[in-house]
Amino acid sequence: MTAADVLLAALGAVALGAGLLVVTTRHVVRAGLWLVVTLGAVAGLYLVLSAELLAWVQVLLYVGAVVVLLLFAVMLTRAPIGASDDLDRVRWPGALIGAGAGAGLVALFADAFHWSRVGLPAPGTAEAIGGAVFRTWVLPFELVSVLLLAALVGAIVVSRPDISAGPRSDSRPDPRGR
Amino acid sequence: MNDKLQLPNLDYAALSPMLILFGVACIGVLVEGFVPRRIRHGVQLSLSLLGLVAALVMVIRQGSKDDVVTAQTAVAIDGPGLFLSAAIIVLGIVSLLLIGERSLETGGAFVAQAAVTANTDADRDQAARTTGATEVFPLTMFALAGMLLFCTANDLLVMFVALEVFSLPLYLLCALARRRRLLSQEAALKYFLLGSFASAFFLFGIALIYGYAGQVDFKAIDTAIQNSANDDILLYVGLAMLAIGLLFKAAAVPFHVWTPDVYQGAPTPVTALMAACTKVAAFGGLLRLVYVGFHRTEWELQQVLGTVAVITMLVGAILAVTQTDIKRLLAYSSIANAGYLLLGVLSVSERGLSSSMFYLVAYGFTVLAAFAVVTLVRDADGEATHLSRWAGLGRRSPLYASLFTFILLAFAGLPLTSGFTAKFGIFAAAIDAGQTWLVIAGVVSSAILAFPYLRVVVMMWLSEPGETTPAVSIPGAMTAAALVIGTVATLVLGVAPSVLIEATEHAGIFVSK
Repeated sequence: MTAADVLLAALGAVALGAGLLVVTTRHVVRAGLWLVVTLGAVAGLYLVLSAELLAWVQVLLYVGAVVVLLLFAVMLTRAPIGASDDLDRVRWPGALIGAGAGAGLVALFADAFHWSRVGLPAPGTAEAIGGAVFRTWVLPFELVSVLLLAALVGAIVVSRPDISAGPRSDSRPDPRGR
Repeated sequence: MNDKLQLPNLDYAALSPMLILFGVACIGVLVEGFVPRRIRHGVQLSLSLLGLVAALVMVIRQGSKDDVVTAQTAVAIDGPGLFLSAAIIVLGIVSLLLIGERSLETGGAFVAQAAVTANTDADRDQAARTTGATEVFPLTMFALAGMLLFCTANDLLVMFVALEVFSLPLYLLCALARRRRLLSQEAALKYFLLGSFASAFFLFGIALIYGYAGQVDFKAIDTAIQNSANDDILLYVGLAMLAIGLLFKAAAVPFHVWTPDVYQGAPTPVTALMAACTKVAAFGGLLRLVYVGFHRTEWELQQVLGTVAVITMLVGAILAVTQTDIKRLLAYSSIANAGYLLLGVLSVSERGLSSSMFYLVAYGFTVLAAFAVVTLVRDADGEATHLSRWAGLGRRSPLYASLFTFILLAFAGLPLTSGFTAKFGIFAAAIDAGQTWLVIAGVVSSAILAFPYLRVVVMMWLSEPGETTPAVSIPGAMTAAALVIGTVATLVLGVAPSVLIEATEHAGIFVSK
């Protein structure tokens, strides 16, 4: 049992416990804050596994951006700040599916790897990942930007109320005016 | 590490069809910003059509060259990939004609402002008066380019990105129907949520396969299946999750629940695009995945996919009998057809590949023609899709009723239509592969499926037209062109299928590098 093993187990326990609190707490805001703990612990796991860049991206994107967005959404909408009873849905189906998926994954990985030890790969530094992204994965990387553009256009189309309001006329326009 | 970053070798000629389409989509976004609203629709439409034609030319030029795998292992431009790309582009051109049509309804089939609350005065006002959003053209181009990439993706990661690139615009397009806004919004949300769920499965499957093979490109996965020391359980669970993601897009039972609602709620031209092009893309991806990456798990695959195929064919056919809405009927028919296509996929032979590709093209043209007719049968409130409204249509407008009868007979698989040739090819390939019991299930489900088609035919010709039977609109030039192309292709592929069959056989097999 090395120090890395102990750290992994501890961080995993923190992530799991905080994750449980996210879904059981009655306060929307507290759920968001517990999410910070969960995601932070997962970032810690990445660090222990020597994937530095991934860990910092996790902190920046998930802990930083996503959770802040979530808290803003709570503040901007008229969501209740205190404890609210209607947060809870029927618990059994959710617990069953969550526990089932978790147990299934544990069984799958235990069966697949039989407790064998796997050596750590080369550290995931920014340099290594940047090289991989722009060498091996340059095409999918560029395509993701296309996807984002499509999503932007789509978001404008479905949400902005004053866009592309065509010329209004009381008479029917020329039927051949395509 | 080198100081200078070495970029991978990109074969721009081979990638040009999808690059052209992505380029046209980006120009389309700029057109939205800079071209005056009055002429925007015409500019967008001609730009998109030009882009598709240019992409088709580049695909055909590439057809005479050798197979290439470019951008490291990301994209494989080979015979079947080019054939499927050409099919998507041609079917895309026909769907674009339907999407661009504006003479049937003031302002076209799309809503101007999707954010206006449904069933309010503002909503009714804009449905009656405003011209539709022209952003649908760039979105369609993004979707079509994503489909091209999906058919030629040579590793799982590119495949996932392509899946998202073509799905996201389709989710959005579903929400833009001019009439029956609530139904349209519900369809889009349902498609989006279930689609994201399926994508998550696909992504998890990629992770498990990566855990098994250590690579994500198909050739490496194939090698790993041959001599990996890892436990096969990772492979099978991963493959099952990949299959869930793909079968969702292909609308196979039990991942089909979204299909009828989305087909019904989406604007009819978009439904036509989904039924024709998405089907080609989904099965193109599935074919490459099975034929290149996982053909060594053939035995297990045939068990599972065979079961899915039987359920899909039977459930699609039986539920089609109970439908009362023409768009839902066509949706269930599309589900049953996904079952027939699965027979071609699980044959895992050269013949299975060529007959599946023939089927995809034949079905695509027929379904486009079918939805073109659906856009024409309308009254003051938009399309009349309830089947009772189609009663006596043969008396009101014999021409369109005859056309639709011919299309339905093609769906039912009568000789002298493309439906017969296509089904015959698929069933023959499956028998070659020793899947006789699947073919028996296929024939039984075809017989069941003929019933709802014939019921519509009987309704159109033998019932008296009621007061609510709408007149058929005179189609604009573009809908007429789409209808003619679809019907003529259905007839020609039934009478003289040899040209296309030769093309599918000439396309050869997937490259494995």
